[in-house]
This record gives sequence, C-alpha cells and structure tokens, in this order.
Amino acid sequence: MLTIKDLKANIDNKEILKGLNLEIKPGEVHAIMGPNGSGKSTLSNVLSGKKGYTVTGEVKYFNENLLDLEIEERAHKGIFLAFQYPLEIPGVNTNIFLKTSLNAIKKAKGEKELDAIEFLKLVKQKAGELKFDEKILSRQLNVGFSGGEKKKNEILQMSILNPKLSILDETDSGLDIDALKIVSEGVNALRSKESSFLIITHYQRLLEYIKPDFVHVLINGQIVKSGGSELALELEKKGYESLS
Amino acid sequence: MEQLKVDFNKVIESLKLSEKSINSRKENLNQFVENGFPNKRVEDWKFSDLNQIISSNIENLRFHTDFEISEIDETTFIDKFAHNKIIFLNGVISKVDFSSEDDTKVLITRDLNQNENSKEVNSLVSLNNALITSYIRVTVKENYSMNEPLIIYNITTKELKSTAINLKTDIVLEKNSSLKLIDLFDDSSENNFINIVQNFDIAQDAILKNYKIDHKKNSNIKYSYNNINLEKNSISENFIFSTGSKFIKNEINCNLNDEYSSAFINGIINLTNSQHHEIKTNINHLAENTKSYQLIKSVLNENAKGIYQGKIYVDSKAQKTNGYQLSKALLLSENTEFDGKPELEIYADDVKCSHGATSGNLDEDAIFYLMSRGLSNQQSKELLIKGFLLDAVEKITDIEIKDLIKNMIGITE
Repeated sequence: MLTIKDLKANIDNKEILKGLNLEIKPGEVHAIMGPNGSGKSTLSNVLSGKKGYTVTGEVKYFNENLLDLEIEERAHKGIFLAFQYPLEIPGVNTNIFLKTSLNAIKKAKGEKELDAIEFLKLVKQKAGELKFDEKILSRQLNVGFSGGEKKKNEILQMSILNPKLSILDETDSGLDIDALKIVSEGVNALRSKESSFLIITHYQRLLEYIKPDFVHVLINGQIVKSGGSELALELEKKGYESLS
Repeated sequence: MEQLKVDFNKVIESLKLSEKSINSRKENLNQFVENGFPNKRVEDWKFSDLNQIISSNIENLRFHTDFEISEIDETTFIDKFAHNKIIFLNGVISKVDFSSEDDTKVLITRDLNQNENSKEVNSLVSLNNALITSYIRVTVKENYSMNEPLIIYNITTKELKSTAINLKTDIVLEKNSSLKLIDLFDDSSENNFINIVQNFDIAQDAILKNYKIDHKKNSNIKYSYNNINLEKNSISENFIFSTGSKFIKNEINCNLNDEYSSAFINGIINLTNSQHHEIKTNINHLAENTKSYQLIKSVLNENAKGIYQGKIYVDSKAQKTNGYQLSKALLLSENTEFDGKPELEIYADDVKCSHGATSGNLDEDAIFYLMSRGLSNQQSKELLIKGFLLDAVEKITDIEIKDLIKNMIGITE
C-alpha cells in the first residue's frame, strides 16, 4: 500500500531524511526505531503532509503519488497520524471536532454523513472499548487533558476514523504503564488484514505490547538495518551505537 | 454646517418644546458647531478620525428627516424567546410594548421636556442633546425583576440616506430591581450616521445585563455612548458583539460609585473588508471594594481595523479595588490593523489591577492537526476562530442570550 523510494527531506537547508526506502503491505505492522534527531518525526510529518519541508523522492500510496496530495486529502484516503504532542485547541469542543472530522472523511469518500445521534452512538461504543471516559469528550479539545488522556484521545480518533495506514509518532512517550497497556490494546484491536501501522518509537517498551512484523532502524536519515521483531530486543541490549 | 443650522430649526419647529429646552439645545448645537465631528487630533479619537470617516463615506449629510414609515418588517424580530420591545424606526420610536410586565412596576416616559441633557463629554453627545426627536426613559421600580428581557430594536430602512439620526434612552433601575436589555441593530439603510446616547442609573442591589448586537452587515457609521452609574452592591454586565457596521465606536463610561459594585464589559470584534470598529471603556473605581472585569476578543480580516482603548481609574478612596482587562486579537491578513491602548491610573495603594494584550495569527500547528483529521484549511481556520471567540461569549451569564449570540457566530452544540 505504501512504497517509499529514496525519500529526502530538507528543512531550513538542513537535510533530515537522506534517501529513505520502505515498503508497507496491507495488514503489516512496521516499527521504526532510532535515536533522537535521526529523522523519525520528520518522516511522520512528511507522510502526513506537514508544510515547511522540501521533499524529493517518491512515495506511492496505493496508486497515487502521496506527496502531491493535500494534508486533508491524505486523511480522506485513510492516512492517520497519531501525534507525539497532540495540540490543545481552546474553544473547540472535542465531540464537535470529532464529528466534523468523521463527516469530512465520509463526505470525501462519498459515504453518508452521520447525524448527531448516530455519531454519539459510535463514540460511546468506541470510547467504551478504549476505557475512555466519555465526559472528557464534551470538554475543549485536549485542553487540560493529562498526557495519558491526550494519547488515548488520539487512539479514540483513530478507531473512529478507521484509517488504512496509521502512523503512531512516539505514542508511548509520557504514558505510564497502565495507559500504555490501554493504548496498545486499542491499537491491537484495530489490526486487520486491510489496515497497516507505522510505529515510530525511541524505546522497545511499546513493542512489547504491539508486536511488529518488521523493525527498521533509522539513523541519520536512512534505514540502516531491517529485521523481525527480535531486532528491537537486540537494540534494547546493545543500543543504537552498535549500528552507527 | 449651514445644512445643520437649517435642519436644527426644522427639528425645533417640529417639536413642542419649552423655551428653556430650546435654549439648552441651542447651546449644545453651538458646542458641536465649534468643535465639529471629533478628529484624530483629539486624544480619545486618535485611532478613529470620525470627521474624516464621515466626510469620506457620507455626501451632503442631513440632520433631519421628514418622511414617515409605519410598516415594520416583523421578520427581523427575535423569535427565540418572548420579550418586551422598544422600536426605533429610522430614529423615531414607532412601538413600545411592555405588555407582559406589571405596569405599576415599569414606568415609561416619552415626554421630551422631561429629558435632561446628557453631560457634554464630547461634541457628539452635544449633537445628540441638540437634535434628539424621540426620547424614552424606562424606570424599573424597587424590588421588581422584569419577567422578560427588553429588546431595543434600532431599525433603519433603505429610504434613509445620508442622514444623521440621534437616539437617546435612559434606564433607571431602582433598588434591588433587574433588567436584561438587548440593543439590536438592524440596518437596511446605507451611509448614515447614527448617534446613540444611553444613561443607566443602577441603584443599590440592582442588576443590569446589557447586550449590544451589531450583527447585520451595513455601511452605516455609528457612535454609541453609554454612561453607567452603579450604586452599592449593584452589578452591570455588558457584552458588545461588534461585526455589522462599516464603522462603530462603542464607548462606555462606568462609575462604580459605591462599595461592592461591579462592572463586567466583554465583547468581540469580528471584521472583514475595510470595516473599522472601536471599543473604548472608562471604568472609574470611586469607592472601596469595587470590581471590574473586561475581556475583548478581536478577529480581523482583509483591510479591517480594530481598536480597544480600556482605561481603569482608581480613586484614592477606592481601596481594595479589583480591576482586570485583557485584549486578544487575531490578525488574519497582513493589511489588518489592531490598536490597543490599555491605561491604568491608580491613586490608591491597596488595589489589584492588571491588564494584558496579545495579537497574532492562527497557530499553524493547530491548523495542521485539524487538517490531518480530514478538515479543509478553511474548516480548520473557522473552527479555530470560533474557538477563539467562544471564550468571550462564554462570559455572558444569560443562557438564552448566550445561545442567541453563539448562533449568530455559527457555534452550535
């Protein structure tokens, strides 16, 4: 579903990604691990369309050139980025935001938009599955949410929007062990033959709960090693130093 | 000015006034003639040169109208809740309806000879004193709370052109009474100057809630001057929704005359094209333990200009004053201008007073976050702008009126 060839990205004349290659097939879970500053967040930003990068190379998503699509078009076509630091948006009610988002995607797909009652039913169900207190959804988007609540909110959005490719950017950062379990269970519940995941993480910890099919090591803007889930354990023992 | 003198004589002829009243009007007229419309050389008007604004928008300004329109377009009435009505149609009172109130508790006076001149704080108030043709005073008697809100409709029709109209309302709230008042503009006219003076006397324990709504886009130039006197333990809550007119300056002078009185002035300015709106407040803390709070949020697009001048004065007697003001502005294009002038003038030593001001553009990261969830750039911006404005709207303590204004901004829940 996703084929990345020789992807390079510059910001402020600094090259961050230096020729990255990666292929993700439907149903696969890929983990990208790497030290700070290796380009992990840049990769997730470039894939979701954030402005400010000069990008070369090719990213094929199904049969389209992903790099030609606007941010919201990527979302309409099933790409979801779970943010490392979800933004606090004062004055915007979480439920209203979620409904606007879901219906924007449904509209783009030519599907019937949900009315308020259908939407609330869906949210109730998904929030229940994630053990997420619904009351929080009537509050302003992420405002005053704890770190764990923000991340759970990201996973809730993911489960409601039901994307084809989910990119999880350092989702484990700032989570305690209980929240980590709940978030991981949420992600695992969404795994299917059609949906793929790209999990970006610094530590092996998250991968104990979400078992990847492939692990890639990103150092200095390039993937230097790929392997199965055992590679994560090896990195945990030996550190990134051994590979650079 | 020749036109003004001719029109002034027509106004005097059309009204049955006492000699005393005529002389006082002449004095006020002379004061206006001497000073003219305020220009930017006057400190209070340095961001809004009204003289220039009027001369570049209105040709051959007249000060008198003689046509009559009796038909009121009732579709412009608020239908979300029952209310009392005063209707100014092209500056003339055409309807007064307090049918759901106890008529021994709410007294209405329309006699021009009972009108006392407003204090001549500037040339526009003098002009108003000289030229008003309709007058209304509403007195709410002791211990009476109005059953329904009062809406003062300021309606102008397309027949009204290049004319200055002067309106005046006095509101008297006796001890422990309360009133919710909405001033609602509905303009179908173009290029007029509308000059409004309102005086509020709020006695001990009384509560005024006043919401000013200028919502419908129009090319009129407006000035509204409010003078509010607050006695012991009384409350005045103001909200200004400023988005419709080509130009409007809302000026509120508020005197906290006695202990434990409080004043709240919140508002939003939301402008496009070359609209130019100003909010100016003077809060005078004149007694101990008085409180004031102000929050103004502005959203400026294209070539719009927004101004907030907020002054808090604390008299040496006014110990334990609590004064606060905050202004936040979103400047959505490079050609917008926002001017903020906060002023604190404090002569007491045991007070808590603060002010703050910010201005900037929308947060690009927030836009990215929303767009990554499938919202278009436009949808994302609209959501963020409404969120920005909501903060001020949430300060409105009356639920019905808060919902009405939320609806007008397009916030639904």
